[in-house]
Amino acid sequence: MTNTVRNTALVAAIAGSLVLTALAQQQTAQPQTTDVGTLDKAKAEQVFPTKPPYSPYASRTFPSRPYFGDTHLHTSFSMDAGAFGTRLGPREAYRFARGEQVMASSGQPAKLSRPLDFLVVADHSDNMGFFPDLLAGKPELLAQPLGRKWYDLIQSGKGNEAALDIIGNFAQGTFPKELMYSPGSRLYKGAWQQTIAAAEEYNEPGRFTAFIGYEWTSLDKGNNLHRNVIFRDNGDKASQVEPFTIYPPGSVNPVDLWKWMDAYETKTGGNVLAIAHNGNLSNGTMFPIVEAFGKAIDRAYAEERIKWERLYETTQMKGDGEAHPFLSPNDEFANFELWDKGNLDASAAKKNEMLEFEYTRAALKNGLLLEAKLGVNPYKFGLVGSTDAHTGLAALEEDNFFGKTTPAEPSPHRMTAAFMDNPKTGIKIMDWEVSASGYAAVWAEENTRASIWDAMQRRETYATTGSRMVVRFFGGWDFEAGDANNRMPARVGYTKGVPMGGDLNAAPQGKSPTFLVAALKDPIGGNLDRIQVIKGWLDRAGKVQERIYDVAVSGGRKIDADGRARTPVGNTVDVANATWTNTIGASEFITVWRDPDFDPTLRALYYVRVIEIPTPRWTAYDAKYFGNKPLPGTRMTVAERAYTSPIWYAPAK
Amino acid sequence: MTMNRFLREPLLHFLLLGAAIFAAYGLVSEGRADEPGNIVITAGQVASIELGFTRTWHRPPTREELEGLLRDRVREEVYYREAMALGLDKDDTIIRRRLRQKLEFLTDDVVDQSQPTDADLNAYLLAHPDSFRVQRGFTFSHVYLNPEKHGERLTRDAAELLARLNHAGGEADPSDFGDSFLLGHTFASVTAVEVAAQFGQPFAMKLGDVSPGRWRGPVESGYGVHLVFVSERTEGRVPALDEVRDAVGREWDNARRLSANDTLYQEMLKRYAVIIEAPRATPKTAGPIDTK
Repeated sequence: MTNTVRNTALVAAIAGSLVLTALAQQQTAQPQTTDVGTLDKAKAEQVFPTKPPYSPYASRTFPSRPYFGDTHLHTSFSMDAGAFGTRLGPREAYRFARGEQVMASSGQPAKLSRPLDFLVVADHSDNMGFFPDLLAGKPELLAQPLGRKWYDLIQSGKGNEAALDIIGNFAQGTFPKELMYSPGSRLYKGAWQQTIAAAEEYNEPGRFTAFIGYEWTSLDKGNNLHRNVIFRDNGDKASQVEPFTIYPPGSVNPVDLWKWMDAYETKTGGNVLAIAHNGNLSNGTMFPIVEAFGKAIDRAYAEERIKWERLYETTQMKGDGEAHPFLSPNDEFANFELWDKGNLDASAAKKNEMLEFEYTRAALKNGLLLEAKLGVNPYKFGLVGSTDAHTGLAALEEDNFFGKTTPAEPSPHRMTAAFMDNPKTGIKIMDWEVSASGYAAVWAEENTRASIWDAMQRRETYATTGSRMVVRFFGGWDFEAGDANNRMPARVGYTKGVPMGGDLNAAPQGKSPTFLVAALKDPIGGNLDRIQVIKGWLDRAGKVQERIYDVAVSGGRKIDADGRARTPVGNTVDVANATWTNTIGASEFITVWRDPDFDPTLRALYYVRVIEIPTPRWTAYDAKYFGNKPLPGTRMTVAERAYTSPIWYAPAK
Repeated sequence: MTMNRFLREPLLHFLLLGAAIFAAYGLVSEGRADEPGNIVITAGQVASIELGFTRTWHRPPTREELEGLLRDRVREEVYYREAMALGLDKDDTIIRRRLRQKLEFLTDDVVDQSQPTDADLNAYLLAHPDSFRVQRGFTFSHVYLNPEKHGERLTRDAAELLARLNHAGGEADPSDFGDSFLLGHTFASVTAVEVAAQFGQPFAMKLGDVSPGRWRGPVESGYGVHLVFVSERTEGRVPALDEVRDAVGREWDNARRLSANDTLYQEMLKRYAVIIEAPRATPKTAGPIDTK
């Protein structure tokens, strides 16, 4: 056989298959009924009863367990991941998250210790498609009368007719030569459509939720302003739009992303939310309080931001973003897995004055300040963690860590390589600094797109750095010590208060807010060291303040009069063998805490931080497995933690 | 000046670059409509750009917006042509990977597009029963003993509590006994995987050995010690095709896709004679390397 003949056969096979793909897709383009539809309305009415009882959550069946997932995973469909050598696409990513064993791009088998409950494949929207202009109609195709006809047929929902016509032309040899190679006949083969198809295929309500989503990768002068966009909807709605990009016709300004989100909802009747991440690499631009992109932060900005950005990804592989020691010098736990040397591409070094506009705790506090000034709090967001892995593998367990990129999958050299090295700015970040973090924990009623998305929207979420600990946090006016002994803490919590992400308003006369706080260790993880409540408030002088209270500590340690237990929990980690014992710490905490310093006239917020005992970090497992020597300064232990969404207090107007 | 040093001389690089640009300029400045010197944005392309905008924003672009998009398109074209003329696409790892991906993307699924018959699916189900097994299910209650609260008395307390529970029988309300437990005390119709997710795999395994109808234990978990009352246990089984048709279809399709893609690669590989030169035979690399 000559080369020409073989090539023709290949082209024929490709063209034929594309037609069939179009046909197959046509069948599935009908509205999906796999997910809850009408059920949602009933549920929404339950959440918002016509005449609300004291607690808006009292009359519903409350979520009984958190669902763990990753809202931020890249696959080979992301340009940079593909360039790094990632071979796994969205399908493989969903398979892996569901608990299947897959072959990692580096050729090693990979499997999670436990399946995840949900996953968002969030590939970069820019350059996502190998043929990004496909769905817009390829110029060559549109210039052709036949192509134009097919395009119009498909656009008007007559894809079957178009496909039959295409097959007919192909069979009769009248298929225009210039269309042979044209992606025009591959109308449904864009990467976005493939991403949607993979999510539809692997979404299994009740068992595993495969969300449709993408990452809008805004980079302004090297400063990270990225957001992940997550759809509540199925493919029938999501496939009506193209993801928003930063290249034309997109924009790097988040305000434009919100416009896009609004246009999507208006057009389709669907719902989307956005989750920003890595303020730590934004060099002071993630949480502005004065101006952004040359425009003052005003009420309109605040309203739009909090309408669309209900959550923030506070911990992930490129650093933890809860708190910074410069901003919180009295917080001995603030120095945790920090990436604070510069912006995303290491083109500009970090200055201390930027930190306030990068870290979660500072942003939550500044939100109170802006609320006082503008009437709306733009930073009233809940918290999640996620991976941002670019391997197609949501694998961040310390003993099962597949790294940030394919070259950083397990190997004897990954601990000693540089992640980023910019000789111009002198910024160098080593691979060992990559953090095996984190997960999004969501208190949803059931494992479906609608239920989990709704819980995200109401901020009933918490972030973990990889642990699957269970954390409860309720605020109200009437919790009493005895509630901590109740055998049904969740029922008491929802009956007498609001869960994480909720609001307390206008304190009743003489009352201080009370909180029911509980945590249960990860069944295969380390014990718990302590639970802390972190309070932020706006004082009488209009200045933001913060304070940390230890509210439950293990091993009978004493909490001092100032609300702190200064005795560390200890450390059982045997670094050389990468082991530890649960002989210190506690498996469960539950307590009721009352704010001892409450002023009913001041705005405030409260969130919970749960800290585990130290356990081996991924670097310790690596050193043990490969028998290699870590570089000086490499961290070998980690105290995993969880951060809940806050509960906000607003005084009477 | 040695040859080596000469090759590293910046001036040489400058001259070579200049020559390359000059050559490229010669190529692009010819001048016919379909020659490289002309950049033609066709009416079709303009329509395509407009459509792209409309799909993103759900409205057509304004005149200024369209002009901006067209300016950007021309700029991209100019850079693209200049870069290609300089050969910047050659031996670039990222471009090579991108092209490989692009072909994979195109050829994904091409070799076989047939729809599976019931016989195909049944055969797949029988060959992979464990992938589709309906899991063992439990309806159970448990009472938790927190080790930090019982210390050395843990075993004794558990035994005493077990006796009390069995005295109360199946009517005992588990939330009246033992220590508080955040995930609750009664679990109705949960699968073994769900139990493992909430209590850990060892607990789920041990629960499978507990005979129903009586308080048993202690059963250990990552949290501590539990006394359990299994009221119902449904054994795992391989389902009929109708129960899992979608899942089998998906797995069948996935397996078919992987093997089809590999078949295609093997076909393409046949067009080439692959020669791998080993710089030096070391024990590790000696012998033929399997490139299939």
